[in-house]
Amino acid sequence: MFIAVAAMTVLLGLTAQSVHAQSTSLTQDQIERIRTNCTSTKSTLNQLHASDALLRVNRGQVYESMASRLMDPFNSRLGNNRLDAKATSVVTSGYRGALDTFRSNYKSYEEKLSSAIRIDCTEQPESFYRTIEEARTLRSKVHDDVIKLHRYIDDYRTAVGDFLLNYERLSE
Amino acid sequence: MAEPTIVQADENMTFWDKHRISLLLIITVLVALTLTVVSMFAYNASGTAQLDLSRPGYLSVSDKVDRTDKITEYSAYGSVNKDSINEFTKLYDEQAAKAKAVDAFNGDPLNPEVLEFGVSNVSE
Repeated sequence: MFIAVAAMTVLLGLTAQSVHAQSTSLTQDQIERIRTNCTSTKSTLNQLHASDALLRVNRGQVYESMASRLMDPFNSRLGNNRLDAKATSVVTSGYRGALDTFRSNYKSYEEKLSSAIRIDCTEQPESFYRTIEEARTLRSKVHDDVIKLHRYIDDYRTAVGDFLLNYERLSE
Repeated sequence: MAEPTIVQADENMTFWDKHRISLLLIITVLVALTLTVVSMFAYNASGTAQLDLSRPGYLSVSDKVDRTDKITEYSAYGSVNKDSINEFTKLYDEQAAKAKAVDAFNGDPLNPEVLEFGVSNVSE
């Protein structure tokens, strides 16, 4: 029974691999186009690699500063004055999590793009194409992370606004 | 009488006694190699490598890192009143506008069509 299940699993795995290989197979014309444009594509990828790294450094600094220089001190100040900082702290915690995901996803994207750049597209056009497609998906995830961070920035502002309203109401 | 004593002392030395300097050098090199491997692993695993613009390939952008935009830190100490909250919101709004000004990593530069080898009609 165990052997039959194991054999079935292996068979299903092989089938899935075969389907995957078929889904990314390119026509001869497409392979030729990749080979012909290999040099210019590599040049474009190198430029994108450098400009995205600069973007990561500059945006990363801004996003990190938002938490460490504004959110955290404000939460601490509320706490030091024994005021309810729960709402702002929850948003800050979510923001920190989103920032970690952004860092992690950018690392995965950069590693994938670097491996695409290392592939010889004249010798391995299909592998080159697949790696670029994977890098493309990962870059899209990084953009989603940026959108999430912007949303958390807005949420924090809303939480501070709500806090101010409550504070004014209780002060009257 | 002194010479036989020296010879006897030399004979009593073990292999490691005779090769202490070599052993020291080997251990030193091994420690240095281990520390280098650990450092390189930490450098790559932590994501620091992705922030290091002094690496080859990043020289064209290494001088474009924004070093001027320093965010003013809000003090964690002091009283909380309407003025201090308004002071914070003003500071926050300015920085939030800067943070959201750039829709980073948008677009689709890795689209095969953009990369000139137009293979969007891959068999699926």
